[in-house]
Amino acid sequence: MQRINKIITAMLVFTLLYGTACKKDVLDETPQAFMNIEATLTNKAGFESAVIALHAGAREQLFGQDGSRMWALHLGTDEFMTGDPSLADFNDYITWLTPQQQSVTMNWNWAYLTMIPRANLIIEYAEKPTVTWASEEEKNALVAEARFMRAFTYNFLANLYGGVPIVDRVYMEDKRDFVRASRQEVYDFARQDLEFASQWLPVEAPAKGRIAKGAADHLLAEVYISLGDYDKAIEAATRVIDGPYKLVTERFGNYLNRPGDPFSDLFRDGGQNHVANTETIWAVQMEYLTPGGIALRNQGNTTLRAFGNRYWNLKDPDGNAGMVVADSLGRGVGWVRGTNYLFYNIWDDPNDMRNSRNNIRRDFYYNNPESPYVGQKVDRNNPVHDTAWDYYPTIRKIEGESLAGASYGRTFKDHYMMRLAETYLLRAEAWLRKNDPVMAANDINVVRGRAHAAPISPDDVDLDYILDERARELMIEELRRLTLNRVGKLVERVRAYNPKSGNSIQDYHGLFPIPQDVIDANSGTELGQNDGYD
Amino acid sequence: MKLPVFPKGFGALLFFVLLSAGLCAQQRTITGRVNDENNMPLPGVSITLKGTNQTSITDTSGYFSVTVPSTGAVLVFSYVGYQPQEITVGESSTLNVTLLSASSKMDEVVVVGYGSQSRRNVTGSVAKIDMSQTENTPIASFTQALRGRVAGVQFADNGRPGQGGSIIIRGDRSLSGSDAPLIILDGVFFYGEYSDINPNDIESMQVLKDASATAIYGTRAANGVIIITTKKGAGTKPTIRFNAFYGASGWSKKMNLYGPEAYLQRILDYRRQNNQPSNPDSIRFYLQTTEQEIYDAGQTVDPWDVVSQDASIQSYDMSVSGRTDRTSYFLSANYVNDKGLILNDNAKRITVRMNLDNKITNWLTIGLNSQFTRRDLSGIRAPLDMAYWLSPYAKLYFDDGELVPYPVVDNLEFNPLFAPTYYKNKALNYSIFGTAYALVSIPQIKGLSYRFNYNPRFTWDQNYLAQPVYDRADAGYQNTGLARRVNQQNASWQYENILTYSKSLGDHDFDVTLLYGQDHQEFDITRAESRNLFNDALGYNNLNIGTTQTTPNEPEDVEISNSVSSMARLNYRFRNRYLLTLTARRDGSSRFGVDKKYGTFPSAAVAWIISDEAFMDKLTVFNMLKLRLSYGKVGNIAGGPYQSLGRFITTQYVFGDGSPTYTGVYPDQSYMPQPNLGWETTTAANAGIDFEILKNRIGGTIEYYYTKTTDMLQRQSVSTLTGFSNQYINIGQVDNRGIEITLNTVNIKTKQFSWTSNIIFAANKNKIVHIKHQDTDKDGVEDDDLSNNWFIGSPISVNFDYEFDGIYQEGDPMPAGYKPGWVRVKDQNKDGRITAEDRVILGQRDPKYRWGITNTLSYGNITLSFFINAMQDFMAPFNMLSIENARGGGSFPGRPVNMLNAGYWTPENRSNTRPGLTWTNPLNMQFYAKRDFVRLQDVSLAYDFPKSITERYKLTNLRLFVNGRNLATWTDWPGPDPESGNNTITNLYPTPRTVTLGLNLGF
Repeated sequence: MQRINKIITAMLVFTLLYGTACKKDVLDETPQAFMNIEATLTNKAGFESAVIALHAGAREQLFGQDGSRMWALHLGTDEFMTGDPSLADFNDYITWLTPQQQSVTMNWNWAYLTMIPRANLIIEYAEKPTVTWASEEEKNALVAEARFMRAFTYNFLANLYGGVPIVDRVYMEDKRDFVRASRQEVYDFARQDLEFASQWLPVEAPAKGRIAKGAADHLLAEVYISLGDYDKAIEAATRVIDGPYKLVTERFGNYLNRPGDPFSDLFRDGGQNHVANTETIWAVQMEYLTPGGIALRNQGNTTLRAFGNRYWNLKDPDGNAGMVVADSLGRGVGWVRGTNYLFYNIWDDPNDMRNSRNNIRRDFYYNNPESPYVGQKVDRNNPVHDTAWDYYPTIRKIEGESLAGASYGRTFKDHYMMRLAETYLLRAEAWLRKNDPVMAANDINVVRGRAHAAPISPDDVDLDYILDERARELMIEELRRLTLNRVGKLVERVRAYNPKSGNSIQDYHGLFPIPQDVIDANSGTELGQNDGYD
Repeated sequence: MKLPVFPKGFGALLFFVLLSAGLCAQQRTITGRVNDENNMPLPGVSITLKGTNQTSITDTSGYFSVTVPSTGAVLVFSYVGYQPQEITVGESSTLNVTLLSASSKMDEVVVVGYGSQSRRNVTGSVAKIDMSQTENTPIASFTQALRGRVAGVQFADNGRPGQGGSIIIRGDRSLSGSDAPLIILDGVFFYGEYSDINPNDIESMQVLKDASATAIYGTRAANGVIIITTKKGAGTKPTIRFNAFYGASGWSKKMNLYGPEAYLQRILDYRRQNNQPSNPDSIRFYLQTTEQEIYDAGQTVDPWDVVSQDASIQSYDMSVSGRTDRTSYFLSANYVNDKGLILNDNAKRITVRMNLDNKITNWLTIGLNSQFTRRDLSGIRAPLDMAYWLSPYAKLYFDDGELVPYPVVDNLEFNPLFAPTYYKNKALNYSIFGTAYALVSIPQIKGLSYRFNYNPRFTWDQNYLAQPVYDRADAGYQNTGLARRVNQQNASWQYENILTYSKSLGDHDFDVTLLYGQDHQEFDITRAESRNLFNDALGYNNLNIGTTQTTPNEPEDVEISNSVSSMARLNYRFRNRYLLTLTARRDGSSRFGVDKKYGTFPSAAVAWIISDEAFMDKLTVFNMLKLRLSYGKVGNIAGGPYQSLGRFITTQYVFGDGSPTYTGVYPDQSYMPQPNLGWETTTAANAGIDFEILKNRIGGTIEYYYTKTTDMLQRQSVSTLTGFSNQYINIGQVDNRGIEITLNTVNIKTKQFSWTSNIIFAANKNKIVHIKHQDTDKDGVEDDDLSNNWFIGSPISVNFDYEFDGIYQEGDPMPAGYKPGWVRVKDQNKDGRITAEDRVILGQRDPKYRWGITNTLSYGNITLSFFINAMQDFMAPFNMLSIENARGGGSFPGRPVNMLNAGYWTPENRSNTRPGLTWTNPLNMQFYAKRDFVRLQDVSLAYDFPKSITERYKLTNLRLFVNGRNLATWTDWPGPDPESGNNTITNLYPTPRTVTLGLNLGF
């Protein structure tokens, strides 16, 4: 037995010897191929690249994925409904808009997984003593861009979901007891970010697509309205209007030899960034065949695909294929179709440029060379045509060069996030809410004047009129659900103008529900569902 | 030059050995032959002169020749699988011996970690896979030999060629750490693909299941260990073997999609339910324009036929082995060509192995086991989601014979033949794996030996893809061309120093093993891509042809991880019937947080061979009875390195028209860093009884185990409000309890006829005991974690959802917005409303029971065996059962694409199992189905040609076999295969039904 004890002792000695003799550095872990946060955010270059990621994130909101759920901010409003009859999106609000609905989660995750952490990282790390800044201005300009993006996101969240948790720092630990702030608190949080951004952002953005002071002031105008501070909203909007921006009134761009007008030139390829275009405040950027030119998981600007009708499915009077996909029209799939309100009811002036053939395509002509009817106008009244899906007017803002082939369905145009015309309409709204319809009408008439539409009299200006004007000017650019939720008019106007959703929409649908998985994950405390959804 | 320093006295020893071998006069030579009971020669039988180290081995014809002292020599004949025999040499100089097969499994040798033992002396839970059970079946990967044949081991593959499949031993412990067992190949860690190993090279396989057996592998052992030993040269006459088989495969099941008539009816029913015009006379008008063409032409297509190919498998294997005085060698080459059921789903493999073992001196042996594998998985296989969606009226070809990209103009559906036909790829994998070793028997100390292993592994993957330029006006599709090259390298090495010492002291026998080793793994990947090719003639071979050249934006191109290990083991036997094993291993890994790098894993086991006790002599029913108990800790390591670190990943953006590319960085939102990430620890207790009764007619093992896994390495979803979606953490506790029964019976044994059975049964119960020790609502019960579907007291992997409760019919009261034909969800809490509170656990995802039965019937030279394999009581989502696509089931009833033909509600048929066609799945619920199955896995018939024939052709053996695999399956699972459980439309691979003819030849 003594021998065994000796052996066991020897074993232990051996084990301990080797166990402790291992060099510790063998087990140190050094990342080989990815950047370490602390090592990257040390100087301007590091923060610049973090800001670039924020821009890439912003583009993903609209162009990060594909499919009808991407368009939940348009569908089921007064402006838009489903075209494709196999889509059920918002046709029945009660059964569609649930806490489990995909677009409810998708928009939430865009905000909380993509935008807010990227912004918070910049804002928080910029203050670390390890960072070398050339000047306070250098630091603040980058922080201002991040705070603009954060405010943009919180304003989005408050408009869509109401009161949400305010996450204002970087979390590196599991946390399950977030609480929701009130909607006003969220708007106010955005306000603080925007006031800082307005102070520190440059008047001229360093590059197309980057954020300038005007963008912060434009958004500030909207946020002040939400906070009920109309004077400040007017001030902010005025700073933009008096700034280096001006509505375009002359034709410009690369398509002067084609039919068009100043309004249509704004939406052609290259128009958004054109030097003659003085009304772009912020456009997300796209580029064909350039790395980074489109959002990672998607294939370009998908508005054509989503909003375009399926003209290529039109049959000639014999019931045979009357159309082929044309370069100039692209290949829409008709997920999102305008309502009659949008296509017909709002056009109060026949001279309105925005309703011209250059901007809305209402007539189609058979183009299949094999059809005996080629060249003839397609008869809208022929009942064989599906006017909900195949044959409805095309808003030409979506059209663009088919660089990847007409059937590709997507374009590579830049996309407006903010345009000066909307700043006027925001200021008009603030004037109206301040009970000054004269000033409101003045602003509206600037926008209408550019479109050669007759001016509106102050007596006729009300919130609904502003919403109509926004529709005429900003359709597709404006995320209509956000606007209607913000002003509290979604339910009323859907009932009035959306034939598919009007019967089912309930009062509680004025806000999106909180995603169920977010409620499930917040096990530390009850997050609470929006009224009507639980 | 200074000679290597040898231990003192070594020279004298060597001299003495040489002297005694060459000069001793009082010796004589005995020759003879060793046969088995059937009078077949036994090659490789070792013959030891008792009391010496002098050993000899029979050649391929069973002959031997040994030199023995003139008087009193006793020869011991031993061979794996046979009872050893001791024979006292008489006057005769020839000796013919018949060895009886070891009816007692207890006498077989099993390989345990860092050594081998007689099964008698094993204290842990070690199952040996009898490779002879599968020798008449066509296996292309060794993992297939595990299917249903070892209690507690679950194997599944996905039905595709060239895939190794997955192995789970004793149930899921950890969802996020890997469930894959550790593979030990010829004594060293093997990190390669299962399919890199040629199953014909395998001599034996052991599965280590309990902590005592596995703890010597420490951190990597939590999921069990499979020890594979490859063949070595045996007889002095070279043995040449040739094995070949050829099999033809067909679909064991085709998922039922809509045929032409049902497809048209679905269009009409959909339109009617969707309030669109629905007139049967206008059906042509409701079709897409391309569908109309096919409809008018009176044609239809069958989707599964479109994507099928003639499936077959062939394998050719040749080996040469033998030994000389000092060297043993085994050389083999194997070629497998496996063509799957799906077009272009092919796998070819070449493996070459060389095992060399050279006894340089009496105290030093060096050797090399090496294998080279080349696997070729080239071929773009037809995408099964596109087959699933293929309309019966799809237009696949233009009139000129070219493929139509979009077979229906609705662009959801892409021609499933397009990529397999037009795209070209190269998918090659080369791997080299070797173990170089030196074994030193330290001469001064008897019983002390030292082994050094060095085993490098290098793999190189080429994955190249070329999409040609495609631009055709009438195609509706354009491709500017793509060339992509992905090169991937894995380089790893380990070294191990192993010291063993064994000693007998009267009633006490013990051996000690000590180990120290290090392990290094490196992974490196390069991706490059080029688009917009002005000429595609060079395919993927020249990326400069394209104008847009990128490195696809994917993170983590280089990974390095290291570990260091030390281990000690003591085996102690008292009176050969009281056995004790103690082990301890300490591992350090770079993959864990700064202060969590090291873990220590001890274990202990005892065994008692009861049948050797005197009081058992009267109980003659027991030939053998042994009781084993073990307890220990093992670890589990995280999936990949760097999980404890925060990381930036890159993205790209442009500013302005004609802009260059800007690179952005952001924290990887998928994983929250976890600086405290540490080991997952499993504490396991095992109780086993090994028995043989009724004159060894029935033998078997019954085991009960309990494992407690704490600090589980889990990928948990975190609240997205933190800015992250997931995090790796150490969390909670999961218990597994199970029982495993293995029975080997000899049912009938006569001179000509025998019938034997092998039966295995395993039941496993898995339960979450703790999650976070959190009780937010202060109800005294620990909180469940809804976001991860973890519930205290439930299995780790459950289906938690709303419960399907039939279909609302006309006139039923139903929630606002609902319509007849919509799914009724069970109101679990009976509050009259359906809310998130009505979700319940519907069932578990892992099987509760598994069993397998192999019956083998032999009559003369004919052997028939059949093998039934089953798993029971588990369920999984199968969302193709849904009518819509919210959960990704792939059903678009309103679009011109196909889907699962499982019926649907209409106002007339009033289905109560499936909803109507316009149901929108408001609650985003999933559909589930039971995966229980019983399968007739293999039926084999083999014929051994009689000696009269083999001898005429100078063969040692000749066998022909025919095998039928996967001949019948009894299941309610709606997918293509319940065992693989494939349940998404991109992986609907059927498991082939294969009939194989095979040949084994030796000479």
